[in-house]
Amino acid sequence: MPSFSSGASYRWMVLPALVFAGTMIVFPFGYAVWLSLSEVSLGQPPRMNGGANYARLIGDPDFWNGLRLTLWLFAVSLSAQLLIGTWLGLLLARSRRAQGLVRTILVSPFMLPPVVIGMMAIVILDPSFGIANWILAQLGLPPRLWLSDPDTVILTVAAIDTWQWTPFVALIVMGGYLSLPHEVFEAAEVDGAQGWQRFHRITLPLLGPTIVTAAVLRSVDLLRFFDVIYITTQGGPGTASMTLNILAFRRGFEFFDLGYASAMMVTLSTIVFGSVLAFSRLRRAVTW
Amino acid sequence: MVGRRLGRAADAVALLLVLGVLILPVAWVLLSAFKMRTEVAALPPRLFFTPTLENFVELFGRGDFLDYTWNSLVVSGGSTLFGLALGFPAAFAMAWHRMTWPATATLFARMAPGTLFPLPWLVMFTEVGLTGTRTVLVLTHAVITLPVTIWVLLPYLEGVPRELIESAQIDGARQDQVLLRVVLPVVVPGVVVAAILSFVFSWNYFLFALVLSGLESKTAIVASFNFVGEGVTNWGALMAAAVVIAAPPLILAFLIQRRLVGGLVAGAVKG
Repeated sequence: MPSFSSGASYRWMVLPALVFAGTMIVFPFGYAVWLSLSEVSLGQPPRMNGGANYARLIGDPDFWNGLRLTLWLFAVSLSAQLLIGTWLGLLLARSRRAQGLVRTILVSPFMLPPVVIGMMAIVILDPSFGIANWILAQLGLPPRLWLSDPDTVILTVAAIDTWQWTPFVALIVMGGYLSLPHEVFEAAEVDGAQGWQRFHRITLPLLGPTIVTAAVLRSVDLLRFFDVIYITTQGGPGTASMTLNILAFRRGFEFFDLGYASAMMVTLSTIVFGSVLAFSRLRRAVTW
Repeated sequence: MVGRRLGRAADAVALLLVLGVLILPVAWVLLSAFKMRTEVAALPPRLFFTPTLENFVELFGRGDFLDYTWNSLVVSGGSTLFGLALGFPAAFAMAWHRMTWPATATLFARMAPGTLFPLPWLVMFTEVGLTGTRTVLVLTHAVITLPVTIWVLLPYLEGVPRELIESAQIDGARQDQVLLRVVLPVVVPGVVVAAILSFVFSWNYFLFALVLSGLESKTAIVASFNFVGEGVTNWGALMAAAVVIAAPPLILAFLIQRRLVGGLVAGAVKG
């Protein structure tokens, strides 16, 4: 007899997705962890070597350089995107212009394939033939090496990501602002709160959860940032933009140092999940 | 009053500046794609020129770029359908039974660094003899589309009135009928957003195809990256390739632009 009651169970419908996730995500993750604990050389079965790969990380200057660059990129880009994004989001909310063509323009950068962003950067920032240096010259400024100066390449990468993702943060902030109860702002106006005071005391605290949401999304992407760096510099010049993700990838796929590369990838994953957990704590703290 | 009007004017100027910074690089690529070979790298830049399709003719004249574009379509379309086929029933069951742990698990999947997976996958797919096929790319890209599908659909499915489903059950509808004839028609808008986002994410995704595609299954994204790697001096063809691979995501994003950001944020809010 078919079940008529609302107690009918649809739980089995989760099963195909679970089997897929188990095969394609959980198993490979476990496999990567196992590789990270093993010595892997081509033509031989991997064998466990305790934590030797992780011990090697500690003494590897490339690893520390990669970690430093990853965290630097994360801190600088995230701050820039949150600051400019919040400003832009409030500007959009005030002027109520984020419709039609304006919205299309705002959405375009982060919908473009990262490969296109990379190609765009290479052509525009080319030291000799790019338009960027030509514009600098017109303004009487010295040319820059953008993607090939070891001192500033990471800043260029941060700027590219900020260009691409700030509109995303802005649209999130705008949405958050427009959904706030507007009586609060009217009451504040009556109480004489103006300008900075109004922003600092009322708008910002109310927007807290929205901004943290944007921060979580950007943090995850920034910590595991891969595409645009790989396309524009492949970690170079030298190791000047060799973030952990790029370093791990190149160790794994160019040098086939599989155990060691896996140890780096597992370490990076731990950092990403750790920061997500930290942010979810933070969100609970700022939620009103 | 004057202060307020001045503020408005300042806002408008600031907004125009921001929009200019965002649109100019994109416009530059688009213009370059339609310039003659000799004009592309000319400085001072030629703003007025006779548009030509020369670059596109050359790009597709190389023969294989059309194949790569087709591969991209098959992989993105395939992984989108695969994600929906698995994700829609799963999301429905999760919404109906108010299960939370599978949602958290998929969120976890969405946040893992992409570099973690290709090594184990390479071993797995070599084991089953699938390496270098488009099937591999459909399956690996489904790792991206499945979580997106589930997270986008959940709020829509949670909004379906329970009475609607209960009365269908009383009428004797089988479970698959409930899913496809009762629930699906109500959440079509959600399915459209999920499908478009899945397609765009899969189309744009670079890393998995970079490592796992063979000559036969290379996507247009990876082929374009190879152009860059070859150190092509022909920027015109390069920019034409950029326009070809940028067009589908931009057009699709345009179709759902009002729901786009909500779809991208879905998941981060509850996790």
